[in-house]
Amino acid sequence: MKPLALLATLITGALLLYGTADFAAWGDPQSPPNRNISVRYVEEAVKETHVPNIVTAVLGDYRGYDTMFELVVIYSAGMAVMGILRRRED
Amino acid sequence: MESILDHVIAKYNYWIYVVLMMIGFYAMIGKRNLVKKLLGMNIFQTAIILFFISTGAKKGGSIPILDKYAALQGQVDVNQVVNPLPHVLMLTAIVVGVSVTGVALAVMQRIYRKYGTLEEDEILHKIENE
Repeated sequence: MKPLALLATLITGALLLYGTADFAAWGDPQSPPNRNISVRYVEEAVKETHVPNIVTAVLGDYRGYDTMFELVVIYSAGMAVMGILRRRED
Repeated sequence: MESILDHVIAKYNYWIYVVLMMIGFYAMIGKRNLVKKLLGMNIFQTAIILFFISTGAKKGGSIPILDKYAALQGQVDVNQVVNPLPHVLMLTAIVVGVSVTGVALAVMQRIYRKYGTLEEDEILHKIENE
């Protein structure tokens, strides 16, 4: 059981390390995630929302519904915990 | 050989995340204690969050809080501000991770109440003997 788990871990790790060859170098401003859509947010977010903190602007304005329905996730988790831990009164 | 070493040094952050992720992966599939499995899942999650955050890093970039008046006049250099989108998305991921951890801990407490142990093989043994 345990040698098998170790073997699976090593194989997966080796595959992932092989995969890092295709990633962009660390801190490269021209890497694909930094070059495409985020440029627009950095340049336009303050003009559109008047929020200086871009993380807050995206979280509260552009993705407002996502943040709101995150409450549903927390609420369901709380309800699940209550249902699981409740002792029966018998 | 020289080029491989340069390659590793340029991307050592990814190597750190892969090692962290594999520690978590081994804990999830190799350990028998349920709490250790959950800890492994949280380490795995942390590795993924760190990976996403690091894709938004820029050398010499500052935090994504801008001077409002400069930004309104369009005087913002994009290369001087780190990418804010991975930060936002990982905030969402952290919230989901906390919920999952909470529910998992509750389930474990319930299992402990019924079987008196959190070791996987002992629980299976008790289920078979019921």
